[in-house]
Amino acid sequence: MPEKVILLVEDNPDDEELTLRALRSSKVANEVVVARDGQEAIDYLFGPPGGLLGEEREPPALVLLDLKLPKLTGIEVLRRIRAEPRMRLTPVVVMTSSNEEEDVLNSYESGANSYVRKPVQFGAFVNAVSQLGVYWLLLNESPKQPR
Amino acid sequence: VNLKDDRSSSLRRKLRRVILGTTLVALFVALGSMIAYDVRLYHRTWTADMATQAELLARTCVPALLFDDPGVARENLALLRLRPNVLSAAIYGPRGATFASYSRDPGDTPVPPLPGADGIHVVGSFVEVNHRIVEDGAILGTFYLRARHGLGDRILQHLLIASFLAVLGMVVAYVYSERLQRSVSQPILEVARVAREIAETADYSRRAPRLSDDEVGLLGESFNGLLAEVEARSHALAETNAELAREMSVKAEAQREILRLNSELEERVRDRTAQLTSAMQELETFCYSVSHDLRAPLRGIHGFSQALVADFPRDLPDEAHRYLSRITASATRMEQLIEDLLNLSKLTRATLTRREVDLSDLAGRVVENLRTTDPDRRVEVLIREGMKVDADPRLLQTAIENLLGNAWKFTAKTELPRIEVGCMRDGARTVHFVRDNGAGFDMQYADKLFGAFQRLHRQDEFPGTGIGLATVARVVHRHGGRIWADGQIGAGAAFYFTLAEPVAGATDAPETTNGEA
Repeated sequence: MPEKVILLVEDNPDDEELTLRALRSSKVANEVVVARDGQEAIDYLFGPPGGLLGEEREPPALVLLDLKLPKLTGIEVLRRIRAEPRMRLTPVVVMTSSNEEEDVLNSYESGANSYVRKPVQFGAFVNAVSQLGVYWLLLNESPKQPR
Repeated sequence: VNLKDDRSSSLRRKLRRVILGTTLVALFVALGSMIAYDVRLYHRTWTADMATQAELLARTCVPALLFDDPGVARENLALLRLRPNVLSAAIYGPRGATFASYSRDPGDTPVPPLPGADGIHVVGSFVEVNHRIVEDGAILGTFYLRARHGLGDRILQHLLIASFLAVLGMVVAYVYSERLQRSVSQPILEVARVAREIAETADYSRRAPRLSDDEVGLLGESFNGLLAEVEARSHALAETNAELAREMSVKAEAQREILRLNSELEERVRDRTAQLTSAMQELETFCYSVSHDLRAPLRGIHGFSQALVADFPRDLPDEAHRYLSRITASATRMEQLIEDLLNLSKLTRATLTRREVDLSDLAGRVVENLRTTDPDRRVEVLIREGMKVDADPRLLQTAIENLLGNAWKFTAKTELPRIEVGCMRDGARTVHFVRDNGAGFDMQYADKLFGAFQRLHRQDEFPGTGIGLATVARVVHRHGGRIWADGQIGAGAAFYFTLAEPVAGATDAPETTNGEA
């Protein structure tokens, strides 16, 4: 059985590469799919707009979601995910630079499972990403099938 | 109006009454005395006439008596027929017996049977004359005559004439009085009319015409003088009124101006509020952008520098390693700067909720934290017990953390470091202070202490971002308080602050620095 994917929604290529590097170094084996804006994330999760839905794509094991994104914002993406019954229980971790109280609150109200502020210092950043990987992919027990 | 007419006509009537009354009295007196005189004269003349008549007839009858011839006597008496007033007459003998008699109207009034006393007697409207007939000293008899007294008729006649004259006189007096009273009352009535018109129209420019040169003329003149005075006064009054009205209108104009300025001011306040709100929104956006967008490149700089070191540990010369570590240090420092700046702006935006805070307790906890973070330092800390303040606990904690953090930091190179937290009274307000015996500062630069990113020490002496005191100042200002500092290089620094608006009348503390952060 193939490992479920991790969906990384990130518009900044530097952050994307650093995140991938951090995931690699933390020995997370899952495939990482990168969406570079909100629309791409939606397209990946729900199929392209207007296109026929083929075989329904399996929800990712974990979504790492930036908030400040072109086209659709992270919060909008999050709401679309939570509105879809298949992905109601998919773990979504908001990873962003902001620590504005409003963003934190909005994220949790929209159904985020976690909110992590990306540290500037690389050591701390790697540490944060690997902890997330370990926690959500190994330690945390998710329901196998949504009701 | 009727009343006024009554009054004005009563003046005429009074005058007329006076004139007619006076005339009447004069007529009475004049006619009365004339009548009285005439009646008296008539009476006297008439009685004398009767006496003469009686004597004449008595003399005529002497021969008849002497010769005892009543027929002659009777003829003589019959002559009295020529005197219609004589009603009866008689001649008595010496013994009183009737010798001869005469009656004008037989059966009218009989002669008395005996003669009366000698003389003239007036009985009612009749006169009786008894005249002794004497001849050579011997009484021959008595002559009796009775006649109607004409006085009543005469008086009646006089009265009729007098009445006629009186009526005539009154008529003449009336006509004359009409003319006379007009000459007297007309000027007065004229003055009254002018007075009435003035009362009705309030036109003080009218004047009473001068119709005579007497007292009434003087009255009119005085009245006109009074009017002139009143006119002058009312003119002055009108001018004063106009002046007042002008002042009122000026005041009203000023009032309107004030209202206009007020509304302008309100509008300006609204404009400014709107501008301020939009500025605040811009600030929010800016802060968000700073917190999100500025950090991302830093993460790249820091992350890839580290990646370089990690991935190519042997390929890089030592110099490159050193540079890379400088790059990561700079990035870290910049992150700290951004962080501090964001916190400062959050302080500005956070709402202020005051309640009682135990400052002594708060300072104690902050010092405990410092000791935990830096267990090797030995610092003597003195905190005055029981300091209570009315402040926002979160903001106050930030301020105290910064003040004590500074004191802690700047006493690092002092031999016997000592930090004191206390308070003192200054008039009605309480001034709190944090004092240390650390590095201190040059009072010359005191005004730069509270500015953001302002530092008085080199980074390698005492590290920091220069945000700490700006943050403290911001907290103090948000509480409506003041902050100032005192210091000397090498001898330490003291920071004084208040947390409320100074009470009115309180003496001002020496102000040194409260620069805007």
